[in-house]
Amino acid sequence: MPAVPEGIAGHAGVLESDARALAECAERLREIEVRLEAGGAAPPWLYEAVNAHLAACAEAAADLVAASARLRTYAERARP
Amino acid sequence: MSEEIDSSGGAVCEEIDPAGAAVSGEGDAAALLREAARELVEIGVAIHDVAAHATAALTDRVALGALPRAPAAGYQAQRALMRAVTNGDGLGYAPAGGRLATLAARVGAMTGAESLAVRVLTTSLRLRIAAVVLDHPELAGDAMLGRLIEAAAADRDLEAIRALRALLRDRGAVRTLSGLAPIFGEVLALRALLDENPLNDAAAWLIATGKGYATADPITGMSNRAVAVLDTGEGAARRVDLSAAEAARLNSHGSLLGFLRNISEVGTTGRMLIQSVEGPDGVVRHVVQVPGMRAGRPDNASPQDLLGAFSSAVLDSSPYSRALAKAIDDYGLPQGAELALIGHSSGGAAIMNLVQDAKFCARYTVTHAVAVGSPIDFKKPADPRTWVASVTNQHDIIPTLDGQGAGGCFDLHPDWYVVDYYDSTHLFPLCHGIEHYIANIADDLPGARDVIDGRLGPYRGVVVRAQAYLLFDRVPYPEGFPFLTVPTYPADTSQGAVELPIRCQNGSSLTAYFASDPGAAAGLLEGTGLGPAVQVGGRALVAVHAAWNRRTSLGGYREVHLGVVVPDPWRSGSLRVWPDLLRNADRRRSGTFLAGSVVDSAAVCAVAPHLWGAEPYLAPLEFRLTARGARVAVGGLVTLCGLLGPGLPASDRDLVGYAGRAGNTLRSCVRTRGSCRVHPLPRVRLTVGQADHPLVRQLHELGLDGARPLLCLSAIARQTLRGAGVPVLTT
Repeated sequence: MPAVPEGIAGHAGVLESDARALAECAERLREIEVRLEAGGAAPPWLYEAVNAHLAACAEAAADLVAASARLRTYAERARP
Repeated sequence: MSEEIDSSGGAVCEEIDPAGAAVSGEGDAAALLREAARELVEIGVAIHDVAAHATAALTDRVALGALPRAPAAGYQAQRALMRAVTNGDGLGYAPAGGRLATLAARVGAMTGAESLAVRVLTTSLRLRIAAVVLDHPELAGDAMLGRLIEAAAADRDLEAIRALRALLRDRGAVRTLSGLAPIFGEVLALRALLDENPLNDAAAWLIATGKGYATADPITGMSNRAVAVLDTGEGAARRVDLSAAEAARLNSHGSLLGFLRNISEVGTTGRMLIQSVEGPDGVVRHVVQVPGMRAGRPDNASPQDLLGAFSSAVLDSSPYSRALAKAIDDYGLPQGAELALIGHSSGGAAIMNLVQDAKFCARYTVTHAVAVGSPIDFKKPADPRTWVASVTNQHDIIPTLDGQGAGGCFDLHPDWYVVDYYDSTHLFPLCHGIEHYIANIADDLPGARDVIDGRLGPYRGVVVRAQAYLLFDRVPYPEGFPFLTVPTYPADTSQGAVELPIRCQNGSSLTAYFASDPGAAAGLLEGTGLGPAVQVGGRALVAVHAAWNRRTSLGGYREVHLGVVVPDPWRSGSLRVWPDLLRNADRRRSGTFLAGSVVDSAAVCAVAPHLWGAEPYLAPLEFRLTARGARVAVGGLVTLCGLLGPGLPASDRDLVGYAGRAGNTLRSCVRTRGSCRVHPLPRVRLTVGQADHPLVRQLHELGLDGARPLLCLSAIARQTLRGAGVPVLTT
């Protein structure tokens, strides 16, 4: 049943892509912070909030990469 | 286009022009903040999608089904996925997508677990609040509001509740709501996203992302639709005439302010107005003018009630909009007739429901819709050619009830003309009133007024027709149905034809029975063929009957009658008089001989002798009746006043009257419907003056000055049918 490993591998591919999407999100967060600071509009709490989001994005991306790798291994081992 | 008129109580206007370019009067900083907030929403939604993908992988049946083939690798993969969707330092507690994941998310919400997506949306909401604060410096300077916002944003429940209580204690509910109004949606969404109530999360998500109408109360999570569906009915409309004074105050020439003043004139009375205007091009077009919510019970027969306001805002179609459609259909417009719809408050939401009704827009061409102070952010016109304008005061809380207010960062309708302004009046509901909006548009927002008036150009002409309608949730019963739904016929009198029977929609009555001098009573009956009077303990039974017929087919009037209770004129002295007195009029032989009558209506006074035989006096009458007491006064001549004492419930009794006319006796009946109370121990007292008046003389002769009645019957609400008297031979 080749559909099963391919299905699992499909999830792995999506998660790898999502890890990259999170990296893009982090990049956009940085740009937002820079833009607001440059415009003199950044509230005092923004730096701390954005930093927390950046760290979370990085951690989440790492989690997704790890999960993707595990899924690929699982897909290989699940082949009949 | 930016408009700042504020110097001393004027308005500051933020407009979004029809071309879609957002323009504002608050400067770059607020625009930057709103743009950042909108971008953060995109990021939050992207993170939410990522979480949904990871959850889908975790719960995939195919992957789970393959576990027996590679249990060790499968377990490690599942563990890695579980970490990805629950890691508090990463995606947070983020199961998403699918019913199982939604359930898991709700369980997590109850424990206070949050996802990264929610935290990013929280930051977006805080940026929206920061943008509003730039426009509303009073928010920044308000330590108590600031404490509430900070506590809400930081998920410090206890502190948020304390801050809210302090606000309510210090300023009361009205001022607190008014102060919060510009950021009401954002604060509620913040609380809902972060609190432990899982039922309000979906509503908060919609407010934060601007994806749709808040589907639930952001505080309790109670479904808005569940509340709105309580407002049922197919909608109905009936033509009504405005009073002469109201009609005189309607605008005679079409303009935005004129239409809004018409809405103010019609008021929240359950009515609406349609006018036809001959435009500058000679074409007659039509303007539907719709007021907002009617004060009073939350659910009444009118769609202009609280539930109607709610359903109009939440649902695509409501009894209010259906009633409007029926009024417009009744107005008799040709297929494709051009319409402009103008609405205030819930009226604005109702007209937008018509605007988004494809069938309605196929029947008529809705060229313009102008909503003032209305929650319409998520209405979508069926016809893209309909020009929509929305005018909202940022301190008015009603337009924010769909979750989008002054802090909105989404360009939900780039093709609409949106005027979102604020002025120095921060108090709600004052700033929501149609009169306040009229004053702002007239004095503070000339640019906006010119734009809207310019677009309404085809409707800026002479008014050639106007018709008001009374709206209902469902088709109303015919007035007085079924009791007053009877055949009518004209009766000739010296005053012209009178339609009989006289039908009273709404009346009250008091009947007091006295024990009087039997000799005097016999004197009153002499020569009538009636009598002797019914006796109680050797005294003659006399009735004083007073009624206030507030709304009858002959107009409203009060009446007072003095009568001697008489038995069956043809079988007098029968012991059956007492049970007979309790029978309905159609089977009753006994009755009351009318010795004296007073009415306060000249019209009734004039026709009474022709219809009933009695010749009443015309005098001012006072009638007051409550469950506890009564006061009836006949000019300065007679007063019946006092406490009624305990009352036993009963159904109102018909009245049978005998009166003499030109040697004949006329028997007339008043059929009644309603409940009454029997007062066996009345404390009222009859006081008779000393004036030289026939009624006064009769009462003195009967010995009733200062008398207390034996029994009283009171009916606070009743309907009556009164036909003409019928001559009967009693001698």
